[in-house]
Parts: sequence; C-alpha cells; structure tokens
Amino acid sequence: MDKKYWRSLNELHSTPGFEEILHREFPVAASEYPEGVSRRRWMQLMGASVALAGVSGCRWEDEKISPSVSRPEGRIPGVPQKYATFMELGGLAESLLVTCYDGRPIKVEGNPDSPQNQGSSTVFAQSETLSLYDPDRAVGVVERKEGTRYARDWQAFLDYADTVLGQARQDGGAKLRVLADVSSSATRRNLQEKFAALYPQARWYDYTANSRDNIYAGSKLAFGEVVRPHFDLSKANIVVCLDEDLLSEHSAGMLHTREWAARRDPAAGEMNRMYAVESRFTTTGLAADHRLPSRSVDIGFYLARLEAQVQARLAGKTPEPAGDEYADKVLAAMAEDLVANQGAALIAIGANQPAELQARVHKLNEQLGNVGKTIRYSKEPLATDLAAAEALRKLTDEIQAGSVETLVILGGNPAYNAPGDIDLVSALSKVPHSIHLGEYEDETSLLCKWHLPKTHPFEQWGDARSYDGTLCVAQPLIEPLHDGKSEVELLAILCGDKHPVALDLVKEAVKGSLDSMTVNASWRRLVHDGVLKGSALEAVSPKVKSLPAAKLTEAAGEELELVFYISPQVYDGRFANSGWLQETPDNLTKITWDNAAIIAPATAKKLGVEFGSVVKLILDGKSIELPVYVLPGQAPNSISVALGYGRTAAGLVGGDVARDVKPVGENIAALQSKAAMNFAAGLKLEKTGKEYELAITQDHHSIDAVGAGEIHGRVGQLVREANLSEYKSHPDFAKHVTHHPPLESLWEELSYEGQAWGMSIDLTKCIGCNACSVACQAENNVPVVGREQVLKSREMHWLRVDRYFTGDDVDNPGVSIQPMLCQQCELAPCEQVCPVAATVHTDEGLNDMVYNRCVGTRYCANNCPYKVRRFNYFNFNKVYEDPNRKLQALVLNPEVTVRHRGVMEKCTYCVQRIKAVQIDAKNDQRPIKDGEIVTACQQACSAKAIEFGDLKNEKSLVAQAHASPRSYAVLSELNIKPRTAYLARILNPHPSLAKPDSEGHGHGEAHAEADHPKTAEKH
Amino acid sequence: MASVTAEPIDTTIEVPGKRTPLVTGAHDYGTVTDAVCRLAECKTPTAWYVALGISASLMGMLFGLIGYLIITGVGVWGNRSPVFWGWPIVNFVFWVGIGHAGTLISAILFLFRQDWRTGINRAAEAMTIFAVICAGVFPGIHIGRVWLAYWLFPIPNQMAMWPNFRSPLLWDVFAVSTYATVSLLFWYMGMIPDLATLRDRATGKIQQFAYGLFSLGWNGSSRHWHRYERAYLLLAALAAPLVLSVHTIVSFDFAVSQLPGWHTTIFPPYFVAGAVFSGFAMVLTLMIPARKICGIEDLLTDRHLENMTKVIIATGTMVGYAYAMEFFIAWYGGNRYETFAFINRAFGPYAWAYWIMVSCNVISPQLFWIKKIRTTPWMIFVVCVFVNIGMWFERFVITVTSLSRDFLPSSWGYFRPTIIDVLMLIGSFGLFMTLFLLFCKFLPMVAMAEVKSVMPRPGGQSDHH
Repeated sequence: MDKKYWRSLNELHSTPGFEEILHREFPVAASEYPEGVSRRRWMQLMGASVALAGVSGCRWEDEKISPSVSRPEGRIPGVPQKYATFMELGGLAESLLVTCYDGRPIKVEGNPDSPQNQGSSTVFAQSETLSLYDPDRAVGVVERKEGTRYARDWQAFLDYADTVLGQARQDGGAKLRVLADVSSSATRRNLQEKFAALYPQARWYDYTANSRDNIYAGSKLAFGEVVRPHFDLSKANIVVCLDEDLLSEHSAGMLHTREWAARRDPAAGEMNRMYAVESRFTTTGLAADHRLPSRSVDIGFYLARLEAQVQARLAGKTPEPAGDEYADKVLAAMAEDLVANQGAALIAIGANQPAELQARVHKLNEQLGNVGKTIRYSKEPLATDLAAAEALRKLTDEIQAGSVETLVILGGNPAYNAPGDIDLVSALSKVPHSIHLGEYEDETSLLCKWHLPKTHPFEQWGDARSYDGTLCVAQPLIEPLHDGKSEVELLAILCGDKHPVALDLVKEAVKGSLDSMTVNASWRRLVHDGVLKGSALEAVSPKVKSLPAAKLTEAAGEELELVFYISPQVYDGRFANSGWLQETPDNLTKITWDNAAIIAPATAKKLGVEFGSVVKLILDGKSIELPVYVLPGQAPNSISVALGYGRTAAGLVGGDVARDVKPVGENIAALQSKAAMNFAAGLKLEKTGKEYELAITQDHHSIDAVGAGEIHGRVGQLVREANLSEYKSHPDFAKHVTHHPPLESLWEELSYEGQAWGMSIDLTKCIGCNACSVACQAENNVPVVGREQVLKSREMHWLRVDRYFTGDDVDNPGVSIQPMLCQQCELAPCEQVCPVAATVHTDEGLNDMVYNRCVGTRYCANNCPYKVRRFNYFNFNKVYEDPNRKLQALVLNPEVTVRHRGVMEKCTYCVQRIKAVQIDAKNDQRPIKDGEIVTACQQACSAKAIEFGDLKNEKSLVAQAHASPRSYAVLSELNIKPRTAYLARILNPHPSLAKPDSEGHGHGEAHAEADHPKTAEKH
Repeated sequence: MASVTAEPIDTTIEVPGKRTPLVTGAHDYGTVTDAVCRLAECKTPTAWYVALGISASLMGMLFGLIGYLIITGVGVWGNRSPVFWGWPIVNFVFWVGIGHAGTLISAILFLFRQDWRTGINRAAEAMTIFAVICAGVFPGIHIGRVWLAYWLFPIPNQMAMWPNFRSPLLWDVFAVSTYATVSLLFWYMGMIPDLATLRDRATGKIQQFAYGLFSLGWNGSSRHWHRYERAYLLLAALAAPLVLSVHTIVSFDFAVSQLPGWHTTIFPPYFVAGAVFSGFAMVLTLMIPARKICGIEDLLTDRHLENMTKVIIATGTMVGYAYAMEFFIAWYGGNRYETFAFINRAFGPYAWAYWIMVSCNVISPQLFWIKKIRTTPWMIFVVCVFVNIGMWFERFVITVTSLSRDFLPSSWGYFRPTIIDVLMLIGSFGLFMTLFLLFCKFLPMVAMAEVKSVMPRPGGQSDHH
C-alpha cells in the first residue's frame, strides 16, 4: 500500500473544510444534497471525490453481496425467495425465515424447521424488517472529540484501533475492557478466546437488562452446578407458574405455548390446568385457569405454603381444610393437583425471583417426580461468573479507579439501561478510549469516543443457539445498508484481523457441530435450513442437594413494591424506535406509546389515585413521575412499570432529545439497583396533581356505570366461555347463548363453485400475545399513526385483540380475549351501504375492498358491527415520502397496495397470499391443498389457534373447526353470516374452585325453557 | 317611506263575522309595492354592510377551512372509530331540516289555500334554498377523497361503473339534489312578476339590466298571468311530495343501516316532523328581526307569527312523541343492543346532549300554548332559538351517541369535536347569513303579487275568493 498517500489524507483530515466535505459527501446516506454550490466549491467537491475514488481502488478484497449478472437457475425476478436466519435476544436465538423480494427482506416468519417455534414468531421478530430499514440507524463510523461529532470511515477507526490496541497489547490488555451484550454465538466464543490469548489481562463483562442470573444462581444452589431447565408442557397436566410468564416472555415461550395449546382441546384428550401466582398480569396469567394475584415479594410466602401442603399430602396426611380466603383455596387446589399428578405436573418460577426460591422449586419438582418427565435439565452455556448488574458495577468501579484505558462496548445500550445505583454515565466519559458498536447512535454512543455502526441481524453472518440449544445460523439477506460490521467482525478486528471474513469465521466456529466428512455440504444445508437438527443441548440429570428447610415466611405487610419488567413491546428499549411495536397495544392494559405505573384497583383507591393521574414513585430517595393505569387483576400493593421506555437517543420514533423528539414514556431503570433489579419493596408514592392522557386502544375513555353494566351482560355473548364440566355435559353450549328467529335473506345468496374461504379462531388456545396483530401489520403495510392519533382512536390495526374482564371481583377478574378482524360476512352490511360499490363480494366469498374505487364516505365502517374497518384520516404513509426517510419505504410489501388518504381499509384474509397459492396451483394444474394458504396472523400464531382454508372442502381443518360443537359466530343474530367462526373458550378449573355459574354469560330473559335441554340453562 | 299609518288592530283575534286582514295598516297595492321595493331601492344602511361583513368573513373562514381540509385530510375533524360520522353529517342533516319550511309553506300551504302564507313564503323559500346550499356543502367535503365526489352520481364513465343503487347514501344524493332543483325553480318562478316590478321601478342601468334579465320579459299580460299561475300550481304539486321525501330519505341513511339507535322504522315520519319543526323555527328566528328592521310588519303580522308557532307546537309534539316511542320500542322490541342504545342515550356519557335536546325540542315549544308567548315576538324568538339548538342536538344525539357505543364494547369510544368542527359549523351560519342578507337587499323579500291577491280590492270591497 502507498503509505505516503494515506499520510497526505491524514493531513487533510485536520482541515475543517475537508471535514465538511467528508460529512456532506460520504456519510453514506448523505443528509443534504449540495445545493447551489459555487464553482469553487464544486471544484473542491469534485477534487475530493476524485481523490477518494482512488481510495476505493486500493481496498482489500471484500466479501460483497451483489446483484447477479446472469440469472441463477430457478430464480424468477419478482418471485419472492425465503432465506433462513435468526435474531438473538438475551443470548437466545429465534430461528426465522425471511421472505425477500428481489433481494429485499420484506416479511419475517418463524422458521418451520426450528423445533422451538415451528414457524411461529414473536412480535419482536415480526418488526425486524422495520428496524432493518429504519432511517435512524447509525449510518457510519463516528468519532466524538470534545463534544463535536465527526463522521469518519472504517479506515480511520482501524488506524485508531491500531494505535490504541498496540498500546494495550504491550501490557497484556491490563487496561482493556469489553462490555458485551449476552450472546450464545460460538463464533464469538472462539474470538473471545483468541482475544483472551492476545490480551491476557483484559477483562470481559456481559450485561443484559433481561438477565437470568437468578436462575443460574438458583440451580447452582440446588444442584451445585448451573443448569438450564427445559419444560415439556405436552406432558404436563398441571402447570404452576410462580411470577413466571411461561407462555410469552420466557425464551422458549413459543414452544411452551404450542405445547400448552395442544393440550387445550377439550375434544382431543385430557385438558391441562394452569395456575398462575403473579404480581403483574401476564399473558400466562391471562391464559391460566386460576390466577392468584400476589406481590412479587410474597411469592416466597406462597411457595412455602404450597411446599408445606404438598409435603403434608406426600406424607399421607389428610390436608387441613382450606381456609375461606381465595388464596387458601387456590393453594389447596394446586397442592392437590400437583400431588395427584406426580410426574405429570411442573412448577416454574420467574427469573425475577431470588435464587433460594428457584432452588426450592427445583426441589419441589424433584420431590413430585416431575424431573425427567415434564422437566429436563441441560447444561447452561450462557452461565457467567458475574451477575449482569455485578459485572456492570465492577466495570464502573474500575473506570472510576482509573484502571480502564480502553473500553469496547459490543452492542447493548448500558448507558441507558444501567440500574440507577451504577453511575456508568459519568464513568464512561472518564474512559480515554471508548468504542461502542451499535445499530443506533444511542445514549451509550453519545458518551463514547467512537461509534461504530453495527449490522442488523439480517445483514450479517452469525450463529447462536436457541433455548433448547439448537444451533441456528444466519446469512446476510442484504448488503449492509449503512457500512456496518457485525459483532464478530469487530471482535476479529480487535484480535488483529484487519479484514475479517465473517462467513469463514462462522463456518469455522460451527464446523465442530457438522458432519466432518461432508463439512461443505452440511454447511450449505445448515445455511439453507437455518437450524441444525438434533443439535439440542444434551440432558443432564443433576440431583438436588439438601437445602435449608423452608422457613414459612409471613407475607410482608402492606408495603408497596415496585416491579420492573421487560416490556413486551420494546423489550429492554432496543425496539423503542419501532413504530409497529410502540403502537402494539399491551395485551392487558392496551397502552400504546407509553409505560405507566400499573396499580390494582384496591391499591389505587387506597392511595387516592386514578387512571391517568401522574404520580411520583420514590424508591431509596430516587424518584420518577409516571401516569397511573389501574389494572384489574394487578396484585394489590404491587406497582409494576415496564423497562425500555424513556429513550433519549432512540430516533425520531422512540425519542431523540437532540432532535427535539420527546422520549416515549419514562426510563424506570433509574429506580433499579444492583440489589433490586427485578422488584423492590419499600416504594413510596406521591400524588403530583397532574394528569396525563394515556393512548389506549380500548376503553378510550372511562366507562360509566351504564356502559359497564351493559358490557357485563354483553361480553358473555361475544366471547363464549364454559368450564370443562359444562362443556362435557353440553358440548354445543356455545350455540345456545343467543337465540333468534330463522334468518331469512332478502336477496338470493351467492353460491360458490370454487373455493369458499373461511377462518376459525380457537379462543381456548389464544393467549392474546399480539403476534398475529404485528404480523398482519408487517404483511399488509398497515400504517403507524402515532400517539396523537391513537388518542383519537384512529389506530389502523386490521387485526386487534379485544380484551374483556369478567367476573365480579375487580381485584381478581377473569380475562376474555378475542382477536377481532374482518369476519368476511356473507351478507356483508358494509357492501350494501357503500354508494360507489367500493366494497364487494368475490366469487370465493371474500368481502373485498377496492381501494381505487373508495371515496371515503365511511358509511361501511358505521354499518360494520365489528368495527374492524380502518380509515385513513390522513396520509399515514407520508413518512415514506420524506426524502430523508425514504429508506423506510423499502419495508412495504410490494404485494399489497399502500393505501391513500381518505380510503377505507380492512383485513383481506391476506388475499395476496391466497392468490399466490392459486396461481401456483393453476400453473401446476393441481388442486390447492388444505393448509397451503397460510395467512400472516395464522403463521405467526404459536398456539395454532387460527385455521384458514376452504370451507367447501369438508376435510379441511377450517371446515372441521366450523363444524365443531364449540364453534359460533359473533353477532350471528344480525344475519350477516360471518365467515370467521370462533371456537368457544373452555376453562378447566379445579372442581373446588369452579363457579357453578359462569358469570351471567347467558341468553337473555327472552329465552324459552323448552328450547333446549335444561343443562344449557345459564341464566 | 312606508309611513302608511292606520289604527293598529290585533290580528291575533278572530272577530266573528269579520275577517281579520292579512295586511294591516292602510295599505293599498301601491304602498305594498313601495314597502317591499324600498329595500332594494333606498340607500343601503351601514348596518347591512356591517352584518354582511361579519357573515362574509365567517363564510370566508368556512371556505378557507374547506381548503385546509382538502389539503390535509378529513382527520382535521374529530371523527374517529367508531364515530366515523361526526359534526359534518350532523350539520348536513340540521341544514337539510331547516330547508323544509320554505317548500312546505309555499307548496303545501298553497295547495291547502292557506292565504296567510303569502306574507312569508318568499323569505321562507329563500331560506330553504340557502339552507340546502349549506347542507350541500357538508356531504361533499365529508368524504375522504373529495376530488372523486362525482362518482356518487350516475354519470356514464370509462370504468363502466354505476354507483351502488342499494346504498341509502345514493338515494340521498338524488333526493337532496332533486329537492334543491325543484325548490330553486319554484322560488325563482314565483319571483318573476316581482322581479319585473323591480325592473320597472329600477333607475340604475345595472339594476335595469339584471332585473330585466331575470324577469324573463314579463309584461303582466293576462296570458302571462294565466301561464304563470298554472305553472305555479303544477310546481307546487310537484314540490309537495318532495317536502316529505327528502327528509324521509335522509332518515334512510340512518334507518337502513343496522346500527342500534339508527335502525328504527319510526325515522321517516319523525325526521319529517323534526324538519318542519326546525324549519319553522328558523323562519321565525330570521323573520322576527327582519320584519322589524325592514319595516314590513304590516305585511308580516303577528298573526303570521302566531300561525307558525302553532305549527311548531304540532310538530314539536310529534317529535316528542317520537322520542318517547323510540324508547318504548327499544324496550318492547327486546333487542338488547337497541335497548342499550337508548338507555345509553339518556343516561350514558352523552346524557347531557340528550337532555339538552329534550328540553329544547319537547319542553320549550309547549310554551306556545300560552297566548301571551305566542303573540309576543321576542318571546317567540327566544323559544325558536332554543328549538334550533335542540334540533342541532337531535342530529348530534342520533349520529354520535348511537355510533359511539355499538355492538362490540371493545371499540366503544367518546367523540370530541376539534376546533375545525366548531369553526365549520359557525362558518356555515356565515354562508347562510351572507346569502340571506344579499337576498334581503336585492330581491323582493315579500311576494308582492301574491300579497296583493289577498288584500281587499281597491275600492274597499273585500270579497276576494
């Protein structure tokens, strides 16, 4: 290389004029187009361009992803391709299959080959395409010197790294530290070892806000070694969750949901029964047959009581009669069930609960003989010596002591989510050389000397393991959009490899897992499949050591506790700039675009606060102001607040103080402390007298007594529920909830010659996880409207999940969930009233919306009894027209029209997917197979609650579901003949807890006794 | 001018054996002409300019806001899910309702030979036209893509698409446009002899030309009079059913849908009664000050006012009956959704609007049973303003409360208007008043020819008809 040439560039670097040229001309996505340049300026720019044109000529050979010159065999332009990849959260991979149109990733699905998710996916995975094209992502290497931001390139960083690391190498890296996000990548582990060899004195810390340290510590306490529990819900008759969201937030949530849901079909074998004891209302609590709200600090108390009862029963003692309290009854039922189902039950405890409780749950499971049957253990590859918060504190102390010269932060955003008692923010500014690799120039980047752009998961080679240990491999789906490098590439650079080839690194790392005879073929297969079959972690069978006898602790008094939880929408804050996720309503509170202090009704009454009042939460002298959300079912005296909000440098969506964009919600991490990362007692709450309007998508205003009374009477007709015993004695109870005279049609109804599409949704299986809703948004170009418009109830979700509370006890209600989307009525009320015939029926029974024809009278929406039609009040897609944010437009699915302002839209049953399969089948001259057409919501659903297909094919799963005795149509009495059938929800309560009457879900009084057998009477 | 004085008589009393004159004062044909034409001929008072200035500014604001709306999107209003129709539709129905009195007075009362109509029919008809214009503004701009509003009309087009004839909105398009056309023709045709009078009296060149143009060469010949009266009768017969049809069809927009609170068969008669009710109230609201300011109290006597208040009592009572009957049927029908829609109206979050409506529409017109109130213009005026407020709220209650809580409680919402909603309503009054002021100034406010036909013949013998 021509060293002199480089030196002359360095000279240029110092001139401010050149800095500006660099910034204007080469910051990858140039922020401004040079307008009205003078002749002199033009010469300068051209000069610099020509000079740098030379630079590109003398680069090392690079791995490039480029368009094919000749068409690869079998590739048809415009026909989507699917590639396997994964995304990693908290060190655990979710294997994905991404649909790309002409090299453009458009839609994420779960990888059907993955034993974990089997094709389903989480909301986070669904929104990854939006993150990929997020214009707020960091667009290049940045150096910060004395508060000024300079755009640099990788070469400049390499030069810098050379100097800094050269120095570090001399003292063995004694003053070099790495702070990394948790990862299960073997490639990273290899490089980590290499790094350790190169810098023996350097230290490596892992930090994540969603740590599983308590689980590690608990298993160490119980078994003497760190193991990972794996649950098999398909074999569990009884599931007990103690402050644990086994179905949704657990890393194997999709697997759990699928197995749990498979046992929730009353017509197919014995149903399982789930108990949840928890402080905040989780998805698992919503799905459970019995839920006991309890403060997180009291979980130990309930566990001790449960242990005592189980022990007594195991010892053959007749249990003491249960007390009158609801809690007593639930615990007694739980103990009875656990003992009666030894080896076919499981107890799971949340990662937020302390190690001692974890250990005792292990012991209880062992005593009940569940280990080896419903619970399996394996090694824990992610175990670290230091707990996450401990690692962060140690690093901060080292920096404060001046013993850190160079700090490399790989991913994560510790400056944002460090707990309040660890002052990483002020420490970071003391580090002479700090480097942050991140997808965004976030809070951490602003405090570091260098920011390096990180590749998006879809732009990189990588490997990781899913919860069960299955090896997942990622391939880049698109050339890095913003000149990013992956974590492993940067690590390789730090290890001295200036131009690492990630492909080779990953291949090298996973080679050990592949068949040594056919490495290349197996590798290609692995890249194709995305997962390596049979690579799950091996089971180990540890034995519980003797534990100190459980002390029957008393429930702590009336003290308030504060529970921190990872947001189901924005996770630890990393998805804060995703409009789709910010606008996804929380499944219970229905809050969008905010976090709130969630308080039980009884506690709110006691404290004199109500929905929307802003309160000051004070913990250990630190305080934060948040609006109150009063949630029925929240444990009394427990206040929970989601982490991941209040980002100050997330982007134009999630908040960017520098650009005058207010943060979304409040950052609660300031109240966390190393000792209390998950929950803390001793919370004080002060009223501020202020009010704040939360943007919620349901109950947009408080419901008055008249409305509440009506909801109470009405919900039982909309969401039909029964206990298993009722179902057994009267399987078609759902068909007798409402009665109406024979439904006659004014017109001759359409008859269908070909297919007649239909859908069914099983409410017994649905857990309301929102995956369907976000999948629909991603598939159908559903716009994001923002907080202001959600406040005006103008959210656009084609598929929403309705939530109703049931029962009389506001402090411990039941919850009924109902995904609501266009029901594709046969006699659609919308079609009749449209004056311009913009919504019409197809010959396959779809209720089509012709956007081009729609003039926007909104009459159809008024006449839609389900209110599933959405209107474009403004041009909600204007954001794609902004020249600076044009990149975002790439996320749009080319198969689906982007709707204009003034146009009505709604669910189409994913008509583009129907047509794609129909065209294929027609080309192949074959009939469409059942299950070949999968709608976006159906595909994302891990519970397999949604079926879609041809109703005319009697063998199709959807036709069978429609024929089920549980099936019913919502508002069938309106004679609109919806195509979507719901399967009534069957609960399986313990007989001692089952209420004889299911909460007034009955037909009204206009029902004749003789109409059907007595058993169905449920007045 | 018009200082024709005579002994004042109480026109609100029927003296047995004697007809109470419809025109008071010592008027003869000439003085009537003078009294009416004076307005167009004398120097325009400053007050008129001030009033026009205010009204025109408000009208300007309306058009400015429409421009803003078209540029931005209909989201500038408070419309939301589930209240997809908000104030614009409320305003539309309100104005269409107002536009009922004119044609009713001129057509139906003409056919029933109610001579007292002659004093008010011209102004009432003008008001009808202007109200229909105000009403016509709203559905057009209400749709999401205003630039495609013409798709609502059955115009042959390259798409070979007809509108959906099953949609009540389409019927509405036909009903309102037919009504507007017939009302306009009827009004204009009735005005031709009077325009000719103005033409004959005009001194300015422009006036002569304009009145000359619009009086279509009227020369008052017997043949003209004969044709004119035949045509007037025919148009009256044609317009009479329209009075009933237009609001019936407007009510279909609601009644044909399946929304609880809209889906009721009582709507057509109830809407028509409500429309006549509000129309008469608006005529009175306008004419009570106008007759004073314009000095035409002799032509528009207390008797005219009293007759109209009687119509108001009748229609107001019908409306009250409809309110009660809706509740009865909601209960008697046993449909839980409908029952709730009505309970919610009266006791839900919009109870305030419902009770404003009931007190203004049902209770306030009952005051007209008292003769003192019926014959005191300012009292009539106050009651009529209340009726106008009440009738606006009736449309608000029907449209918004029904939509806000329909079948699935998950989508229930609460409507809040934006400032644009409010300003547009005010702006529509600006448009209405601007047109009315221009009418007062430039056109004959009272049908001179018709009034003369109900006056005693010159010569003192009052033996007409």
